Amino acid sequence: MRGRWSAAGLVVVLAAIAAAATLGLVAVRGHQQPPARPQQVQQIASGLHCPICKDLSVADSPAPLAQQMRQQIDEQLAAGRTPDEIRAGFVAAYGDSVLMSPPRHGIGSTAYYLPLIVVLGGALVVVLLLRRWRRPSGVDGAEPDGRAPLTSAQRQALRRAVERLREEEA
Amino acid sequence: MAFLGTYGLMLGLVLSVGGAVTAAVGARTDRPALVQTARRIAFAVLATMVVVDGAMLAALLSNDFTLRYVADNSSRETPVFFKVLSLWAADDGSLLFWNLILAGYVAAVAIRFRRYRPPTFPYALSVLFGVQAFYLLLVNGPARPFGTLAQAAADGRGPAPLLQNHPLMAVHPPFLYLGFIGFTVPFAFGVAALLAGTGSDAWVSIIRRWTLLVWCFLTVGLVLGALWSYSVLGWGGYWAWDPVENVALLPWLVATAFLHSIMLQERRGMARLWNIALVIGAFALTTFGTFLTRGSVLSSVHAFAQSAVGPAYLTFLGLVLLGGFGLVAWRLPMLRTPARLESTVSREAAIVGNNMLLLAATAIILLGTVLPLVVEALAGDQITVGGPYFQSALAPVFLLVLVLAGTAPLLPWRAVNRERAVRRLRLPVLAAALMIVGTSLAGLRNLYAVAGFGAATLVLVGNGQEIASGLAVGRRHSGVLRTLARGRRRYAGLTVHIGLALLAIGITASSNLAEQTQVTLRTGESTVFAGHTLRYAGLEADQQAQRVVLTARVDVSGSGPLTPRMNLYPAASEPIGSPSIHRGVLRDLYASVISLQDDGNSATFRFYRNPGVTWLWIGGAVMALGGAAAAWPARRRRAEEATVAAERRRQFSGAGVV
Amino acid sequence: MRRRLLLLGTVVVAVLAVVAVLATGLGRDPSATASPLVGRAAPDFTLGGINGPAVTLSKLRGQVVVMNFWASWCTECHEEQDALDQTWQRYRDSGLVLLGVDFEDTSDGAKDYMHQSGLTYPVVEDKDSKTALAYGIRGIPETFLVDRSGRIVDRIIGRVDADRLAGAVEPLLKGGTE
Repeated sequence: MRGRWSAAGLVVVLAAIAAAATLGLVAVRGHQQPPARPQQVQQIASGLHCPICKDLSVADSPAPLAQQMRQQIDEQLAAGRTPDEIRAGFVAAYGDSVLMSPPRHGIGSTAYYLPLIVVLGGALVVVLLLRRWRRPSGVDGAEPDGRAPLTSAQRQALRRAVERLREEEA
Repeated sequence: MAFLGTYGLMLGLVLSVGGAVTAAVGARTDRPALVQTARRIAFAVLATMVVVDGAMLAALLSNDFTLRYVADNSSRETPVFFKVLSLWAADDGSLLFWNLILAGYVAAVAIRFRRYRPPTFPYALSVLFGVQAFYLLLVNGPARPFGTLAQAAADGRGPAPLLQNHPLMAVHPPFLYLGFIGFTVPFAFGVAALLAGTGSDAWVSIIRRWTLLVWCFLTVGLVLGALWSYSVLGWGGYWAWDPVENVALLPWLVATAFLHSIMLQERRGMARLWNIALVIGAFALTTFGTFLTRGSVLSSVHAFAQSAVGPAYLTFLGLVLLGGFGLVAWRLPMLRTPARLESTVSREAAIVGNNMLLLAATAIILLGTVLPLVVEALAGDQITVGGPYFQSALAPVFLLVLVLAGTAPLLPWRAVNRERAVRRLRLPVLAAALMIVGTSLAGLRNLYAVAGFGAATLVLVGNGQEIASGLAVGRRHSGVLRTLARGRRRYAGLTVHIGLALLAIGITASSNLAEQTQVTLRTGESTVFAGHTLRYAGLEADQQAQRVVLTARVDVSGSGPLTPRMNLYPAASEPIGSPSIHRGVLRDLYASVISLQDDGNSATFRFYRNPGVTWLWIGGAVMALGGAAAAWPARRRRAEEATVAAERRRQFSGAGVV
Repeated sequence: MRRRLLLLGTVVVAVLAVVAVLATGLGRDPSATASPLVGRAAPDFTLGGINGPAVTLSKLRGQVVVMNFWASWCTECHEEQDALDQTWQRYRDSGLVLLGVDFEDTSDGAKDYMHQSGLTYPVVEDKDSKTALAYGIRGIPETFLVDRSGRIVDRIIGRVDADRLAGAVEPLLKGGTE
């Protein structure tokens, strides 16, 4: 069976490649244009935690304080400050907890490694598990009640019998 | 009322402890008579809980302000509908409701196993009584709902304004509770299987059915919560990654993993240890969730007021973890199963992958939610872990889950015949690729949006194809209905996947393609947004029994007006806004009034264009219905059980069994 | 048997560790946040006065400043009114400036309230909330204590009482510039 790709197989493989390539292109070229100022304000604001609300970002919160924060972000952008400087200004007044995500330094930065560790660790476990469950011989393994695996001659005979049955069916 | 309630709760506690002991002794000494008594105790506890909750309801409805709880959570002006809802509006009362639902589940288990009783039944009953005893201990101890005031208040404070703003408060907590509390049953049977030391897998099908039912309730509860957040809170979104929301999601993810890996055990006898661990883990997560929600450990929009129950919940959580996983460690030899995998590309491997991804998502959410706590404990720093973090960490994981949901049902068990698999996968993969290429050609530049739509298409076409081909074949042989009935579990599962795909479409569209704007308009002034002209028509005031409603009417070109409101409650220092939503199949037009100036001649609005949100609700409903269809008991099964029960009766005749 | 005990032991240790970490969260007010400004120079500002001339913070260097952020619609702020006024009357001649900063309010609302309550200390208004943002205000009332050299010594969230204020202010008045 190896090396023989049917039409269906080709379609599947080509489609998968096309999809993956498109996704890659979108990922790389997605954010080409520099965002306009309102979008920049929105971006920075959605990374800041509204200090008087629970869970809402400064971008989403209707509170007056959040509005004034957005105003301040807008003015500071107009005055030429960078997003990092603006964020640092708020952190100076409110502390690290005003950022929606943990800062990249200190013990909180472990948050960024955690998902990767979890997923890679899980993948490793899965791979090891599947390897352990698969008998090295391949398709057949010992039956639970201890019968010996098929010898290669038996497998050949079985294969021939199955092929003959298929021909008879068709 | 207070008398009835307080003593009723004490009685309930005594009965629960008694029931736990009776059932345990009956199990160890194999005396069916004791087990029968324990069953009867379950009904007694339920009756007691009904009376106690009824007493609280009566107190609420009759404005009995001698009770502290009634004075804090209800008032004379509160409409009757919301007075009833006050039962679960605050910590103490909701614990009464919790106990009622738990007693209901225990009684349901007692009734369900009236004729056919597996050997794990008495142990499970004992565990259930034990959990009930803990929650009754809470209402008899740190959290007393029937506490009285030294002097009856003239009028109550009324429920928190946010909780009486919308009728959804009637259904969101009950379904959530039914889901949360329901995990006690599979947990009880899992622990029972470990305690009883039975090597057989009889408990598996019991646990599977209950977990499926509970999963349905929790799905509905979560979707209703999102609906409430969207329709009531007015911030334009439906999920804020609030700690309490996160912990509600955790048992759902673990239960989903269990419902898949259970197939490994049923069909191949694999993963026994894993399945019990999952069931225990799901219950432990609900206990952890309760601890986080009510123990005032993290700041949250859901957090109940600080109370003394935190240490109690933590102790209980510790006991559950120790007992559950300790038992698993102890019974390890009994749980080992020979596992065999013929091919890496097979349904078994896909299920293993599914479990790994769902548990990875659970771990990410769990760790992210407690990280602020851990960091503050270890280093004293205060950090926030919010929405953006969870979204970027989980998006790839959930995308992979979708890919599996679209391909795994097409894979056979054991080993795959490559040619056949490829033929089955051809259409879904082609459709997904077309969607990806098509949307990006059409100008969509957002990676997650393109990937999300592609994955959802894979799931829709893959599962749809399986349903269609199964029905096409079955129709010729025995008719559509017969085919559906015989393959009910499979078709229900495929339907749930389709619901998931619809949900994914809704989430993808609304998370990545939403637009919003904030604008201040004077009366008569208009603005253009989302292809409509929106004109502020003016403010209307309406005096109601318990609040003043100010409606800011916005005329929308091409359709009816939007009517976002500000509700002024006497108890609240700030008005509570209610958004106005024009729901649509493709997009929602959503309006919130942020503030009013100049006596209402000027108003600040937030307008949102939220694409695809309707598919969230539709997808959630389809998932829940699919799950319910899978959980529905089959007629043939009941006939089987009746035969077994009759056989049992013949064996035990004269011993006082049913 | 050995292996089972080892596993059991691991489970016990893991559970105890988890419970211990979670227990640290108990007894802690989840909404209390530490201010990063304590120990640092107080951000300067110039704000228009409601009952007097404009005030620039840096010009008050050499005096102890108690800044109280409040608003006329904030009920908890009304409760601490007397304590603030008392402190002002008691220490104004020893070098204390008690400054009210009106936040997210209307000038008329503030004036009405000040007239009603008979408040005597200087009040400025923070119209665009820039000062509030610079001081990391999360809610009101919040009170900042600034020493003679312009450094923030403490931040109190919520209502203050006269004794606590006096206890905090007296060492600062004696301290002098460092």
